[in-house]
Amino acid sequence: MIARNELIIKWVLFGAAAALLCLLQGIAQSFVIWGVIPFLFPAVVAVVGMFEGPVPGALFGLVMGVVCDLTVPGLIPCFHTLIFPLAGLAAALIAQSWIPAGFPCALVATIFSFLMTDAFHGLVLAMSGHAAWSAAALVALRETAVTLPFVIPVYLLLRAVHRKTHMYD
Amino acid sequence: MKRFLKEHGLWVLFAAAVIAVALACLSVFSNTSSPLANFAGVVTSPFRSAYTAAATWFNDKQDYFQDVKALEKENADLKKQIADMEDQVRQAKSDSAENTRLRELLNFREKHRNLELEPAAVTERSSSNWTSSLTLNCGTNSDLSVNDCVITESGYLVGVVSEVGLNWCTVLTVLDTDTSLGAQVFRTGDIGVAQGDFNLMGDGKLKLGYLPADCKLLNGDLIVTSGEGGYYPSGLVIGAVDEVKMDDSGSTQYAVLSPKAEIANLSEVFVVKSFDVVN
Repeated sequence: MIARNELIIKWVLFGAAAALLCLLQGIAQSFVIWGVIPFLFPAVVAVVGMFEGPVPGALFGLVMGVVCDLTVPGLIPCFHTLIFPLAGLAAALIAQSWIPAGFPCALVATIFSFLMTDAFHGLVLAMSGHAAWSAAALVALRETAVTLPFVIPVYLLLRAVHRKTHMYD
Repeated sequence: MKRFLKEHGLWVLFAAAVIAVALACLSVFSNTSSPLANFAGVVTSPFRSAYTAAATWFNDKQDYFQDVKALEKENADLKKQIADMEDQVRQAKSDSAENTRLRELLNFREKHRNLELEPAAVTERSSSNWTSSLTLNCGTNSDLSVNDCVITESGYLVGVVSEVGLNWCTVLTVLDTDTSLGAQVFRTGDIGVAQGDFNLMGDGKLKLGYLPADCKLLNGDLIVTSGEGGYYPSGLVIGAVDEVKMDDSGSTQYAVLSPKAEIANLSEVFVVKSFDVVN
């Protein structure tokens, strides 16, 4: 059982890593690749969920969702707050029952996270009377493909934090 | 700490709930963004400016090495275009003088157009692939408010302010799916609605719908704001007709428009804070 102080330090470090990755997102979004910009947040939520388990992963997704909703325009006001906890939870379940936590699992969890987020995008568009499933699928595919290379720095940074905070596990 | 929480935990929870409700009420009844969103926007403003400055420097270096032949050809085309436009300006001056004489004869109010403009720099382009928006470096500190129009220096419509903070604001461009504007075909005067469409957003285009059944559009027709309802000034150029299509039901037509404002390359825009237009 991890001590309370260590728990606080762990999540402060994860928060600092997430802040650093937000800076990386800010730089990456200045460059349009294949008609879209990289979007790192679903990958960050997926990798943390993969390392930390269902409940912490979902809670981290909730916090990242709130941060995204405050800084990134969305189709509806609480878009990311609703979907990111589910993405974190799904990533944790993939790591627990299908692929052990590691880089291949991070890739699969990221793809699944994008699948959920972008399916929700398509659903919100359809419910607001702007249904565009084929265009949404194309944007989702491009966004995922363009973001996947960024899983490398995301995974390496968050793995370093995870190893630092789970040294005695 | 543990004992404090044990003894006063319920009060802490109650206080947190009261603060959350107060923040929610503030954001509902306020014309600006919620306090949390405002704070987040103010904190991230310097980072947005830094990213955009770095990307602009990088793109400038790339453009420096553009082909000289292409520039020479563009120069020659532009000179020809200037000559044609000078001819049109002379004709327009003559038409304007005639219009003034006729207005005086018929005792009409003088046509005028007063727009109070606030210059603003673009600090961030779309940070999402699912919306088309810009973030500017002005907010309530420059008396901006939600639903203010944003235009380029040439008077082309860029979009509408959707969220305002202290020193930032978010503009939904004309391409965004949430944008819907009263529009008018400049040549025929037909009224329609210019709205963003996700199917067209990726191509940098938007849709002109709700057109009259007998509307005859031509490729290249200029579409301007109609000013109906008094929300936005009339006569702001939205775009030009690219093609005319029939909708899925086959009963009504709509037009695909290319916006005149080069949204992907904007660095400076003007926010229309107030307007007084007489046509």
